[in-house]
Amino acid sequence: MATGHAPIVEMKNIEKHFGSVIALNGVTVEVYPGECHCLLGDNGAGKSTFIKTMSGVHKPTRGEIFFEGKPMQFDDPRDAIAAGIATVYQDLAMIPLMSVSRNFFMGNEPLRRIGPIKLFDHEHANRVTMDEMKKMGINLRGPDQAVGTLSGGERQTVAIARAVHFGAKVLILDEPTSALGVRQTANVLATVDKVRKKGIAVVFITHNVRHAMAVGDRFTVLNRGTTLGTAQRGQITPEELQDMMAGGQELVALEGSLGGTV
Amino acid sequence: MTSFLKTAAMTALVAAAPLLAAGQAAAEGERYVLVSHAPDSDSWWNTIRNALALAGEQMGVEVEYRNPPTGDIADMARIIEQATASGPDGIITTLADFDVLSGPIRAAVDSGVDVIIMNSGTPEQAAEVGALMYVGQPEYDAGLAAGQRAARDGVTSFLCVNHVISNPVVAERCQGFADGLGVDLGDSMIDSGTDPSEIQNRVLAYLNANPDTDAILTLGPTSADPTILALESNGMAGDIYFGTFDLGDNIVEAIRDGVIEWGIDQQPFLQAYLPVVVLTNYHRYGVLPGNNINSGPGFITADGLELVEEFAGEFR
Amino acid sequence: MSDTATGDERVKEMSGFRKALIRPELGGIVGTVAVFTFFLLFAADSGMFNAQGIMNWSTVSAQFMIIAVGACMLMIAGEFDLSVGSMIGFAGMSIAIFSVTLGWPVWIAILTTFALCISIGALNGYIVIKTGLPSFIVTLAALFILRGFTIFFPQTIERRTIIGGIDDAAEGDWLAPFFGGEIGQPIFVWLADLGLIDVFERGNRAGEPVIDGIPMLIVWAIALVIFGHIVLTRTRFGNWIFAAGGDAQAARYVGVPVNRVKILMFMFTAFCATVFATCQVMEFGSAGADRGVLKEFEAIIAVVIGGALLTGGYGSVVGAALGALIFGVVQQGLFFAGVESSLFRVFLGVILLFAVILNTYIRRIITGER
Repeated sequence: MATGHAPIVEMKNIEKHFGSVIALNGVTVEVYPGECHCLLGDNGAGKSTFIKTMSGVHKPTRGEIFFEGKPMQFDDPRDAIAAGIATVYQDLAMIPLMSVSRNFFMGNEPLRRIGPIKLFDHEHANRVTMDEMKKMGINLRGPDQAVGTLSGGERQTVAIARAVHFGAKVLILDEPTSALGVRQTANVLATVDKVRKKGIAVVFITHNVRHAMAVGDRFTVLNRGTTLGTAQRGQITPEELQDMMAGGQELVALEGSLGGTV
Repeated sequence: MTSFLKTAAMTALVAAAPLLAAGQAAAEGERYVLVSHAPDSDSWWNTIRNALALAGEQMGVEVEYRNPPTGDIADMARIIEQATASGPDGIITTLADFDVLSGPIRAAVDSGVDVIIMNSGTPEQAAEVGALMYVGQPEYDAGLAAGQRAARDGVTSFLCVNHVISNPVVAERCQGFADGLGVDLGDSMIDSGTDPSEIQNRVLAYLNANPDTDAILTLGPTSADPTILALESNGMAGDIYFGTFDLGDNIVEAIRDGVIEWGIDQQPFLQAYLPVVVLTNYHRYGVLPGNNINSGPGFITADGLELVEEFAGEFR
Repeated sequence: MSDTATGDERVKEMSGFRKALIRPELGGIVGTVAVFTFFLLFAADSGMFNAQGIMNWSTVSAQFMIIAVGACMLMIAGEFDLSVGSMIGFAGMSIAIFSVTLGWPVWIAILTTFALCISIGALNGYIVIKTGLPSFIVTLAALFILRGFTIFFPQTIERRTIIGGIDDAAEGDWLAPFFGGEIGQPIFVWLADLGLIDVFERGNRAGEPVIDGIPMLIVWAIALVIFGHIVLTRTRFGNWIFAAGGDAQAARYVGVPVNRVKILMFMFTAFCATVFATCQVMEFGSAGADRGVLKEFEAIIAVVIGGALLTGGYGSVVGAALGALIFGVVQQGLFFAGVESSLFRVFLGVILLFAVILNTYIRRIITGER
């Protein structure tokens, strides 16, 4: 637990309105370095609006964002990336037709100077990609293998490795496990664990309580655009989280018949 | 099913025939290439192709027809260069755009290929590029003659439907017609495009906007056929003075029905046929006519349509 | 985690053949070999492979290459430009009006035309980006607008649709030879002296070689192919082009300036079209309102034959150049082989169909779709 030092990201009373629709209505979250902060919520709870606000895609209508203690204004995702906030989107992490190494360095291409001309340093890119993939436990046929041939979990892993390699201090994962099978999910969760141990703050968005419980240090539940509070690991049971996500007790009646599988 | 098989077999034959024909004919006789500027869609050139084939057959020489598929003159220049590279005995070509085509034609002449200019261009231009002769209808003079004829019939204003606005030589016909009438061309010439229904609607729109138009001049079947339909639909058929360049099935019929007063026949048959004959005799016996040949204009009216009707679209 | 590190035993090693298949140039290489074999068999003694014949299909192929390079990079960036053909007509007419009608020095006319056309390309791109409309529709509109102006301006100003006399205007101009000139004349004189190429038999050029130099058109084509290939495969910007076409949203999320990339590619396509037009106008000395009709499709066909995917994100400039070569050689070669010219379109359709089917198959291999 990392409560001993200052939060790396603090979001205070964030509101986001789209015309007459209030997507976020006063959300407060603190994220500490080295923790995995799970953000739970049902569909439509405002999870994706929230992470887009944190990653600079949206500007909050009201409220403040502090990054490393200083107020932060992100004009676009590039600012957030430059500051060290990286986001891995569920199905938009990678470009299937491009090679792993081109994907890995997309937006951060290494350059090699030949006289006045700056060229893409493929040699460097290929070497780094192979190294990083090996560290993450993915064996590539070669750095020019297309991402399209990787499994969903491997793609998420490549995207996470990429963010870490380029110095992310905060890593936002948007439902990284929602479309994956059991074994691939386990791989991704293991990757999250590795990343956390490097001192990087992970914001893990999911609506699957079991996945959250597996790696989360703290849990924040979003419902209808507001936070229903943050709980420490060990202070809350999966059932309680599940109920909070559903916004009340109505699932309790179903719980018995579903046998706790939801 | 059998008819499908037949069709398939025919298609295969047709596809293979040119290859075979070329293989055989290359061995004997002179080889002449006719290069036109007409896009694939221009049906008028069918007569040229038939006449060319007939001349080839009668003279015992190999003939080929080439054209730029979209009618792009720059592509035509490449085709002439290509024809030159293939080393024929002669090239018969139109001179649709002197600036573009004069270079390639001159190069053909200089590399020893005899050239005859047909259809488009002028006798002067033909001489300038070093061609043996020009076979065709001087466009301006043909238009002028038509204009003078219309003036005698009491026409004072007209609409010229130009479907080949990009070919300045053809536009000369409209200019000549206006001069023959003694009026200013002004806005009388419209760019009709080549699509039949577009032409029809543009003609209708023009006649609506200018109800006092005395006469219509079309520059070929492409513009004449839809214009006939336009006049039938607005009831002016037979009423308005209607002359056209060139012939085709529908034009011949319209002349018989009195919708069209006269058609100017530039006799494309001769434009393709004569150059082959001239070139062959020149190459075999060294004889060459001492002048250019005017293949037209011939005015075709309701009198004496029989032969025209019989061979319209084929040789006429 | 460590169990996946050993690899998935169900993924078979890719055979060398399949590995070669996913190179985008492969189709182009195979096609080029096939096409040349075919014509060497059927048209070897027809003049297709003498100096004039080679120059003929090289020039035609070079024309296709120039516009194919632009179309290829734009297609990889995920967009189309259907206004290429109209742009060729428009650019040529623009040079003609500036230099002949308005009497400006030719180099100013050329530079102004480049600026004008590249701006129009940028506008195309800007509209596509800002409206989110498919580039197909936006550039289709540009196709008509540009063609309309190309007919309207000369007709209004000069009362004709072909403006000539540019070669006279270009006499002594410093820039015009970069488009209409030729290089390497001494080599051809030397070759003619050796008797390797024919000389003119008569006329005032008698004794000169039938090919007097390599047209700048071919030089431009080669230069653009090399430039495009390096940019695409060896630079950061090239990676952005692939990314923008592969998945624009994913690229944006990692900070690739997708909008800028796409607009720049529209501008580059317009640049290529203008190079084509300028070379043509300087060679022939006149501009016509119907120049370049359907060239946009010819460019796209060359690019697709060259292995690029219509959906973007995959392709190669070298492939597109080979596609252009195949296109040019087939178009001109069918004549030399004595095939009826109307069948050219049949051949073209068949080649295109094969290319697209092959490309779809390749894409399945790359992305592992089943």
